[in-house]
Amino acid sequence: MGERMFIEGNIAVGWGAASAGCQAFFGYPITPQNEITEWFAREFPKMGRIFAQSQSELGSINLVYGAAAAGVRAMTSTSGPGWSLMQETMSDMANAELPCVVVDVQRGGPGGGPIRHAQQDYFQCTRGGGHGDYRNIVLAPASSQESCDLVQLAFYLADKYRNPVVVMTDAIIGRLRETVEVEKIEFGPLPDKDWAVKGKARHKDGKRRIVDHSGDLLRRYPSYRALLQSLEQKMKQMQESELRYEGYKMEDASLILVAYGYTARVAKEAVNMARADGIKAGLIRLITAWPFPYQVIREKACQGGKFLVVEDSLGQVIEDVRFAVEGRAEVHLVSILDRHIPTDGGMILPDKVFDKIKEIQ
Amino acid sequence: MSQGGRLEDAMNEEVKVVTKQRVAGRPKLLVPQIAGFIYCPGCHEPLAARAIAEVLEKLGMGDRAIGVFDIGCNSFLLGMLDIDAVLTPHGRPPDMATGVKRVYPDNIVFTVQGDGGLLSIGADPLLGALTRAEKITIIMLNNAVYGTTGGQMAPTSLEGQVTTTTPNGRDLARTGFPTHAAEMIATFRGVAYSARGAFNTPKNYMRTRKYITSAFQKQMDNVGLSFVEIICACPENWRLSPIDSLKWIEEKMIPEFPLGEFKNVDRIE
Amino acid sequence: MLKGEVIIDEALCQGCGYCVKFCPRGCIAITGDKFTPQGYLLPTVIKPDECKPCGVCAMLCPAAAIEVYKFETEVVA
Repeated sequence: MGERMFIEGNIAVGWGAASAGCQAFFGYPITPQNEITEWFAREFPKMGRIFAQSQSELGSINLVYGAAAAGVRAMTSTSGPGWSLMQETMSDMANAELPCVVVDVQRGGPGGGPIRHAQQDYFQCTRGGGHGDYRNIVLAPASSQESCDLVQLAFYLADKYRNPVVVMTDAIIGRLRETVEVEKIEFGPLPDKDWAVKGKARHKDGKRRIVDHSGDLLRRYPSYRALLQSLEQKMKQMQESELRYEGYKMEDASLILVAYGYTARVAKEAVNMARADGIKAGLIRLITAWPFPYQVIREKACQGGKFLVVEDSLGQVIEDVRFAVEGRAEVHLVSILDRHIPTDGGMILPDKVFDKIKEIQ
Repeated sequence: MSQGGRLEDAMNEEVKVVTKQRVAGRPKLLVPQIAGFIYCPGCHEPLAARAIAEVLEKLGMGDRAIGVFDIGCNSFLLGMLDIDAVLTPHGRPPDMATGVKRVYPDNIVFTVQGDGGLLSIGADPLLGALTRAEKITIIMLNNAVYGTTGGQMAPTSLEGQVTTTTPNGRDLARTGFPTHAAEMIATFRGVAYSARGAFNTPKNYMRTRKYITSAFQKQMDNVGLSFVEIICACPENWRLSPIDSLKWIEEKMIPEFPLGEFKNVDRIE
Repeated sequence: MLKGEVIIDEALCQGCGYCVKFCPRGCIAITGDKFTPQGYLLPTVIKPDECKPCGVCAMLCPAAAIEVYKFETEVVA
């Protein structure tokens, strides 16, 4: 039985990271994730763990690179604009095969954008985000509890694949206060990080270790192709083994909603309203935004299903759904433009989704 | 007894033995480069790796050192030092060094970067480390150009210096003035040591080696951030022979970038 | 009797000439008739007998191509 708390998602991220044995956090102020950085500033020194406020998000991600290269579990958290500054190093960590966790608490975009909720970083999170061929597993919590649990999963998957993992929440999930049971989750053994730099004296074989982000330059791989083959193999494995989604009322559903994060909770509400109205609606809630559940969507499309994507952006998840159905089914959208008021405080509400369901079914 | 007799004869003759002792040569920590020796003839950057290797050997810190190298010509120094090392994105070594040092405070963690790598793209991490007074050592190789990419202007390019991005010579009115890292860094409270050396003469090489020793010693004594700037010849991008590059350092670089220690304190309140 | 020996590894030397310039006794020169496998002009020790092995040539060699030895003769008996 873990410790029960009534906390917001941002705070749950902290307790989750601590439970997962995270040893180092580096962060820079940006709304709406400040509560995360502030939690680590308060709690990590008490736990004898490492906290430092960096000089920028460029600093945060590169401090994480350093701590990860030294072999400890390290993370940072940020929001859209800061997340953009981190992309070069995210790409470097994919090449260097360095594990770490980055939490992106999404806010409005593009550019300065409002500091409130949105879901417009989906592409940037799920397509790698930086230069070159690589992907990151992207986890999408839809509650404070999941913010705690998925951060723990993120650390496990990061170490398992030696690759960064992104936890993609938003200002609503981040600031929503809910009951959370904080409990350390056991995921099973992982290999020792013999590759990490620690000073030769700390290596059993006394030989030097090099962490570099240009795999072939220093002959970590025999050739550039060998590096790329290795990365491709890793991405395939992640896709095959790490897909996670929640199917809600999917068995007989003919109108399938697809959503993640806070809009998935809105969609679930709308599915219940539709079901009460006799409409066979269901929901696929992405828990991993990448890998994406192409297979189950394609199967439903082949059975004649229709799709309604609910996302707080101009339409990003919808591209993956269209890609999955390959023209076999209609794909509709409730987007950021369907919020209940035009200001940045607007939200996509269940009755709006329900109206759309009635319109297209 | 004939055999014995011969033995006696040997006893009386003066027997000279010539021993051959190694006086100087490749330091033990300086290993053949992983990717092959890629430096241009006369480039001084490999001498920085040599000096670091010699200092680490003298301090006995080879197996507790972690080098953090930048993108640039100095990237390949990483392969030449038999120590744990990290290659970082361009300009980011002070960030990585902070991350590593925070995890292993008892190790010697030092960065090696170019002038552009530290003062241009690396200004953000430099200022971060200086503000946080990280107990790391930063070594900047000042060759007044961006070497790897073919000789563009750097923050330390001199007035009138021709580079591929100042084809008519650096015009200070349009590009600003050479940045003086050692003096600037010495102004930070969290800095325990800041010096500038060069490799253009044997005396300067030995002096610079002493500066590196002092810088590492500050880190071992946990005093504060230590910095060593080293003027390095870049014959290829200066369009000069190695020997003429030494002259250019003497007549142009050193007058602009005077050598010496700019800060040397044993305690920071 | 030679006091010392300077060995320049031609596989590493790049003919930069620093050893020639910095040898306090001018023992090394680039004669122009010898090349390294990579095609650089190889410096050679032209005055071996004047070499007082101080090691400056090795110290300033960017390619770490030079090893310097000292001969000592000991009377054993």
